[in-house]
Amino acid sequence: MSQTFKKGTFLSRLRSEFLTVLKSSPVFRVGFVLLIIVFFLAIFEPAINDFRLDGHPSTKFGVYEKLLPFSAEHPFGTDHFGRDTLAIQITGLKFSLMIGLTAGGMATLIAVFMAVVAGFVGGKVDAILNAMTNAVLVIPTLPILIAMAAYMRMNLWLISLTLAIFSWPWAARTIRAQILSLKEMGYVELAEMTGLNKFEIMFTEILPNLIPFIGVGFSMATIGAILAETGLRVIGLGPAELPSLGMLLNWAMTFGVMAQGYHILVIGPAAFLVLIFISFNLVNTGVEEIFNPRLKKITGI
Amino acid sequence: MEKAQLLRYIAKRALIYVITMLVAFSVLFFFLRLIPGDPVSRFVRDIEVRYSYRIENTQEIIDAYKERFGLNGDLLTQYISYMRRVFLEFDFGPSFLNFPTPAQNLIWRRLPWSIGFLGVATLMAWVIGIAAGTLVGWKRGTKLDSALFSLALCMSQIPYYLVALLLVLVFAYVLGTFPPRWAFSPTVTPGLNLEFIASVLKHATLPALSLILVQVPSWVISTRALTISILGEDYLLYAQAKGVKKVRLLNRYVLRNILLPQLTGLAMSLGFVMNGFFLIEWIFSYPGIGTLLVQAIPVLDYNTIQGIALISIFTVLSANLIIDVLYPLVDPRIRTGG
Repeated sequence: MSQTFKKGTFLSRLRSEFLTVLKSSPVFRVGFVLLIIVFFLAIFEPAINDFRLDGHPSTKFGVYEKLLPFSAEHPFGTDHFGRDTLAIQITGLKFSLMIGLTAGGMATLIAVFMAVVAGFVGGKVDAILNAMTNAVLVIPTLPILIAMAAYMRMNLWLISLTLAIFSWPWAARTIRAQILSLKEMGYVELAEMTGLNKFEIMFTEILPNLIPFIGVGFSMATIGAILAETGLRVIGLGPAELPSLGMLLNWAMTFGVMAQGYHILVIGPAAFLVLIFISFNLVNTGVEEIFNPRLKKITGI
Repeated sequence: MEKAQLLRYIAKRALIYVITMLVAFSVLFFFLRLIPGDPVSRFVRDIEVRYSYRIENTQEIIDAYKERFGLNGDLLTQYISYMRRVFLEFDFGPSFLNFPTPAQNLIWRRLPWSIGFLGVATLMAWVIGIAAGTLVGWKRGTKLDSALFSLALCMSQIPYYLVALLLVLVFAYVLGTFPPRWAFSPTVTPGLNLEFIASVLKHATLPALSLILVQVPSWVISTRALTISILGEDYLLYAQAKGVKKVRLLNRYVLRNILLPQLTGLAMSLGFVMNGFFLIEWIFSYPGIGTLLVQAIPVLDYNTIQGIALISIFTVLSANLIIDVLYPLVDPRIRTGG
């Protein structure tokens, strides 16, 4: 764990930790480049689509002729609503990522709160929170999500919160385990001896060393949220004003375009989803390798 | 381990099992009830529309149906009466989907299809994954290792419903090799005849294949990790130095140590497979409990939804309990710990 004990301010520590990972892990480098591509597409989606479609919104129906083949103007052709396929898919990527990140952020907040309270108060509180975590872990979440999405008017915040409520347990478990092991570290004992109280130790000694694990937890929760969100949208639920990749898949399926041979309408969203998953996962694997030496020994990469 | 110690260990595990189940189920119950929606009024309205019949004393009828479905009174009363009915009488209550058939009958009718294809596919994935993972771990550092391991890493990133969708696309629509939906062809008569069995197998191929493709990579990754860590152990070096033959080394020293933790994983995944992969059933319109669940949700059929969720929670936790209890009997290292 030697990399985690660095001096300096919070930000400079964060930066040096990032550079360490970037230098020593090829898996992380590949993932990071892919992640930049994903974020670039999502952030500059309005500009890219404006430029390509002369200012027409990508979601507007009937701008072009329906189901055009591939061409220079429409690299993926147009769909059965007369929209540019590539443009609507980049829009879908943006919304998928937006919902995933919001839900992932909320889930991480819940997880960190649960883990910090459980790990620090210990005893009965820990036992109760742990039982809660394990119980939520075994509940089949997708059915509940589907039921909620079917009956409540969803917007970005509500759907993210719903996704977050069920995707925090894994992250909470990882972070709690890490807090328990950090508590046994020599320097925490030393801090106790010098008279720092629990609260100070938590914020000055333990929380900074948890950052990589919180980061991994965040990106795991984000992936989980995107996975669940896409599942919801594939069966046709969720807010229609946020056309994410899952919704594009649902459109393609319900209109039977697969049977008619317009495969790009399924393969395109699927490919963008896989790009998101692979980039987040590679970054995760890279970070875990560095900060979890036992894991590195095991995976042997 | 002492007998008393073992008993105490089992009692502790059993207590945790019961508590987790109750907590999980209570969370599920209250979450479902928090969803706004009045399924009973809708149910009564549906009857009116279906039989074009004007019900005069609607409120009374709604109340009567609420009584039947266990939806009268405040949440706490509903909760207590529901828990009593489920855990003492093993009755899930009537279903909305197919009133007045009890939800459990609806579920039992679909369950064999789910258990059949999900169970067999999960087992097959486990066997293939363990075999490939051990091989890859044994040959660590070679080209075969890096090729198969990278393939597994990439494959494990693809969401399961995408795999299913792509398989439908390729094998059902483009090539037409396999049927895209349902469990058997409408022309055969269900029963113990060859034609029916062949049709069932043919229809189960694509759903099972998507499940296998999704699960094998994660088994390969975890088995490879276990193999590599075992290969680094001192006892293995010692055995190698003694000149133990490779095949024996692989069977007695490596595979044995892999099987135990991976059996735990198998028990876990057999439980999780029910709630994790039910969209595969929906994509193939397979008549299992996954499809039933997707049908039950739009009408907010509480009893059916809760019944399916209860079965899945029960499977996951029971599998865990069995493994927890059997583990110290099988693994001498845990016997002392308790």
